[in-house]
Amino acid sequence: MAVLHTTINGEAITADVDPSISLAQFLRDNLYLTGTKIGCGKGECGACTIIMDGKSVTSCIIPVLRAEGAVIQTIEGVAKNGKLHPLQEEFINQGAVQCGFCTPGMIMSAKALLDENPEPKKEEIREALGGNICRCTGYVNIERAVEAAAQRIQKGE
Amino acid sequence: MEYVNASSVQQVLDTLAQADGRAVVLAGGTDLMVDYKAGKIQPQMWIDVTRVPELCGITVKDGKLVIGAAVTLTTIARSPLVRQYFPSLAQGCGTVGSLQIRNSATLVGNVVSAQPAGDGAMSLAPLDPTFTVLSAQGERQLSMGEMYAGFARSTIDHSRELVTKISIPLPQPGEAASFVRLELRKSLSLPMLNCAAMVHVEDGLVTWARITMAPVGVGPVRAQAAEAFLAGKPLTDENMAQAGQLALENANPRSNPLRGSREYRLDTLPVIIRRALEACRDQLAH
Amino acid sequence: MKYVGQNIPRNDGFDKVTGRGLFTFDVTLPRMVYGKVLRSPYAHAKVLSIDTSEAEALPGVRAVCTFKNTTNKVWNGAAPMFITPLPHKPVLDQTIFTDEPKYIGDEVAAVAADTEAIAEQAVKLIKVEWQELPAVYDPLEAVKPESPEVQPKFANPDFHNICGGPIVLEFGGDPTPAFDQCDAVVEYDVTLPRVKQAQMEPHGAVATYSPDGRLEVICTTQSLYPTKMILAEALDLPVSKVTVKNAPYVGGGFGVRIGLSGKAEILAAALSMQCFRPVKLIYTREEDFTCSDSRHGGYLKCKLGAKADGTFVAIDTQAWLNTGAYATFGTDLVGVCGACGTAGAYAIPNFRYTGWPVYTNQMTAGAMRGFGTPQGNAVVEPAIELMAEKLGMDPIELRKKNSTREDTKNWFPFPPGSCGTNECLDKAAAAIGWYDKHGKAGEQTGRIRRGVGISAGTHVSNAAPFCVDYNTVILRIERDGTLFVNSSIPEIGPGSTTACLQVAADLIGVPYKDAVMKFGDTDAAPFDIGSHATRTLYTVSYVMADAGKKLRKDIFDWVGPKLGIDPENLDMTDGIITCDGKQVATLADMASQAHLEGKQFLASSCQVPPNCLPFYAQAAEVEVDMETGMVKVIKVAAAHDVGKAVNPPLCRGQIEGGVLQGVGYAVREEMTYVEGKGFYNKGFHSYMLPTADDRPEIESILVENPDPSGVFGIIGIGECGVNPTLAAIGNAVADATGVRFHEFPLTPGRVLAGLKAAGKA
Repeated sequence: MAVLHTTINGEAITADVDPSISLAQFLRDNLYLTGTKIGCGKGECGACTIIMDGKSVTSCIIPVLRAEGAVIQTIEGVAKNGKLHPLQEEFINQGAVQCGFCTPGMIMSAKALLDENPEPKKEEIREALGGNICRCTGYVNIERAVEAAAQRIQKGE
Repeated sequence: MEYVNASSVQQVLDTLAQADGRAVVLAGGTDLMVDYKAGKIQPQMWIDVTRVPELCGITVKDGKLVIGAAVTLTTIARSPLVRQYFPSLAQGCGTVGSLQIRNSATLVGNVVSAQPAGDGAMSLAPLDPTFTVLSAQGERQLSMGEMYAGFARSTIDHSRELVTKISIPLPQPGEAASFVRLELRKSLSLPMLNCAAMVHVEDGLVTWARITMAPVGVGPVRAQAAEAFLAGKPLTDENMAQAGQLALENANPRSNPLRGSREYRLDTLPVIIRRALEACRDQLAH
Repeated sequence: MKYVGQNIPRNDGFDKVTGRGLFTFDVTLPRMVYGKVLRSPYAHAKVLSIDTSEAEALPGVRAVCTFKNTTNKVWNGAAPMFITPLPHKPVLDQTIFTDEPKYIGDEVAAVAADTEAIAEQAVKLIKVEWQELPAVYDPLEAVKPESPEVQPKFANPDFHNICGGPIVLEFGGDPTPAFDQCDAVVEYDVTLPRVKQAQMEPHGAVATYSPDGRLEVICTTQSLYPTKMILAEALDLPVSKVTVKNAPYVGGGFGVRIGLSGKAEILAAALSMQCFRPVKLIYTREEDFTCSDSRHGGYLKCKLGAKADGTFVAIDTQAWLNTGAYATFGTDLVGVCGACGTAGAYAIPNFRYTGWPVYTNQMTAGAMRGFGTPQGNAVVEPAIELMAEKLGMDPIELRKKNSTREDTKNWFPFPPGSCGTNECLDKAAAAIGWYDKHGKAGEQTGRIRRGVGISAGTHVSNAAPFCVDYNTVILRIERDGTLFVNSSIPEIGPGSTTACLQVAADLIGVPYKDAVMKFGDTDAAPFDIGSHATRTLYTVSYVMADAGKKLRKDIFDWVGPKLGIDPENLDMTDGIITCDGKQVATLADMASQAHLEGKQFLASSCQVPPNCLPFYAQAAEVEVDMETGMVKVIKVAAAHDVGKAVNPPLCRGQIEGGVLQGVGYAVREEMTYVEGKGFYNKGFHSYMLPTADDRPEIESILVENPDPSGVFGIIGIGECGVNPTLAAIGNAVADATGVRFHEFPLTPGRVLAGLKAAGKA
């Protein structure tokens, strides 16, 4: 076991961890942050996407101790004080949610994009979401939701 | 399992030496973690090098573009320096896996994992890079070809050696490089075929060409017959098509159940080589 | 209608965008242990001996199951065992574990242990002595009498390696002599791949068996009651003691878990019955890809005859579909392929279809969105294209001339309902620019060629009367006047539970805002077959209409005397009770008063809903690289007659998602079998379903011709999006290149080989 010091959704965390597990396992099994899904365990589907130090990463293949000193956001930290983020609202409004299993990872990829680039071009949205597989929606409404959220964020929401 | 977040190159080398083969250098980990979870590798210690300051950063020094070993593919793909000097390298690095993978994975890792058709490695291959490798035995410099020992086998022993940087000579006037990928899907897929080219043209004639291609052998394979053919000739449609055909002399592709039969790869390799050369010609025309 | 037709945000949206929504994958219970499975490395083998002693001795191991210590009752893990109507008999050919595995991945043993790692290690400690036996993989090989028998005990005794069937469907006259009366006859044959549902949540179950005989299973099924019945039957438990529920969310279905989810539920339950602890068993992505039902691949050929003016006269289609090692939906699906895929879309007076569900030593094929219709569509629609060429007619005109009308008599034992095919054809054609773009192959010379194609078709809105297919709902008004609906349908993603509540709010006359549905649990309500056959909204609405009528009567019969008004004169909208258009009370007040007097407004209904045919047309535009064979789909315009779009964005979502699955089916997706190793495609990296940066423009077009059988005119939509896409794209590639392909998907290798063979590359 080793000791991990990290920041998750704004909260400083110190935890004893098994260094051989992935960050996704730590989030789900130790912290019960089960919003982060695991769809393949190999970084091939994006369901486990979180934001680490501002970048979207597939947490199922990130060793847990890489989180040492890092700042991590998971889906559970996106809404603030019970208020949904524009991305979350637009995912609902635009019909971007169906089964919901890809949704947390999809929102985290989109949030990493908009945090860095609030005025993304269509190609940039597609690049940001290219690693997140959704089998339900055909991606049409997901793309629309990201565009709608970007417009709201540009207006200062 | 032990995990060391290394903070200096010296610490990496010392830890490797002490572990005596039981530790493995871990950069992005996007391949190694998958292999580890599948039980294919069983190190007793990871040495995470992603926060070693000497390994981070992209600089221009002594006429060379120098890319640290811990620089992620995303950083390379978006680097103004890389995009200025080697847009094809930015393109290749921006094609690997998915954005999430590129946010973790490194170009050195794409070479050391030794998959023949790694897109980052392929786009790098014709640029004449030099890899700086440190170990308890000291420093050595390896060329692109010297990095590959066999199929998915690198000459780098990641339990004893550390690649610290890649140095690429800056392009001179009359030089251009390109990267072409024949793909079933943009993200989350290896290419059916990929290739890259760099040419030097003076007075309308090719002085030299470096053409690499995969998966047609071990690592990015040089299309030597095509390169020799082009030397001294202009980049005409006929010559580029002929070079594409000659690439077959150095290519021995295998059939893959997903990414194309040997026959298909032999049919289309000349096409993508020609397109890579066309892209170089178009850049030089501008 | 205050709520039907409105863009109402889905009611599970908050749960799903915040990560709070639970899936089976997320469930943890006290004392829970983890299950792992030992699977056959051989396509066909006999287990000569099996020794589990070392596995059992490993610390942390809680249970080891094999064919020796579990029931050997035969069953069918798909729903058909309990939904096949008499006099048809279901094919029961599965057991929990087998001593004669019939495909690479077949279940031989399983372990439950304190951690997944220990369970994995224990599986490796099970010693098996195998005797490899001969195997057969291709349906056309398997039907030859000399090929190895896959299911000697359960196959049709008269037809080698045929599962149940053959399925013969006939209507009107005999096509064979009718072809002689035709002015033009065309034939087309096609080879189709297996493709995989690849739903995002892998199969999984958490099963808890109590020593007093109760079994509760939280799982990913999309049909809770059939799953409950299969578990009770296979495990020899009283049906009343088995509860099946979702977590409550299910990460996609697309047909792959109508009945058991792979075998997750029964494996977890068998392990729990050994150790009396909750057992969580989640398929790895590789297991999900290689050890659970796929779509059927196989071979089809179609002969179509017409008069010189384009009137269709006769059609005769044959299909040999690879159903794999076990039946699951094999026989049902091969029937639907003929009925929905070849019989429903056009009026053809002489119709025959013969389908052969063929056993092979591969992973089983079963239900996947479309359920045979895409396969039938893939052979009929190109044949229509060939007919148009032969007769020199525009393909759209030819289709419109022959499309099914309201009064068309066809093979189906119910009327087609409203028929929007021609409107769909016109709208899809307009959206793709058909008349400017079609038929330009001869004028193109460059590396990149463009073309457009079209395809039309139908499906069903329910599975009745072809299977035991009914619903039950219970409606009640809470003390504050809000509506609570009980139904045992699942929510696998379409938004069924949102749309059903919109319908309920309008049917009963209550506000939508606070209405709630309890779903995804066999304890929520009596039998409902679940989400399959494009039926959930169409059929639940039908039963709610009956229950809603009863509920309103229950309310008015109590309210009327209180107010001194004849109940017959009362009406209610949005919770306001009126008489002659004037408000006389609110439901909230009345429900509150009723409660104080010991009365709750309550009604239920159990009915077999009707059925109707949904019609649609899709047009596709493609680009073909003549040097590499690369097909790029530029756009798909999908026009669907949905009767009434209850929730337009959700309705479009069904179409768009289906279309993209169809695009994958047409150009990229394929499960490739490697002899001795099994399917090559073990994960998303080796299965080329479309990603966000590799999709065409998708334009969904809602056509609304209210259906007489559907509540508010609703027609089923769920599966339809995927059905015609492959054929539309195949037709577009032929339009672009002048080459008609006979094997899908249109991967670059296949296309380039075809172009070369035609002298075009």
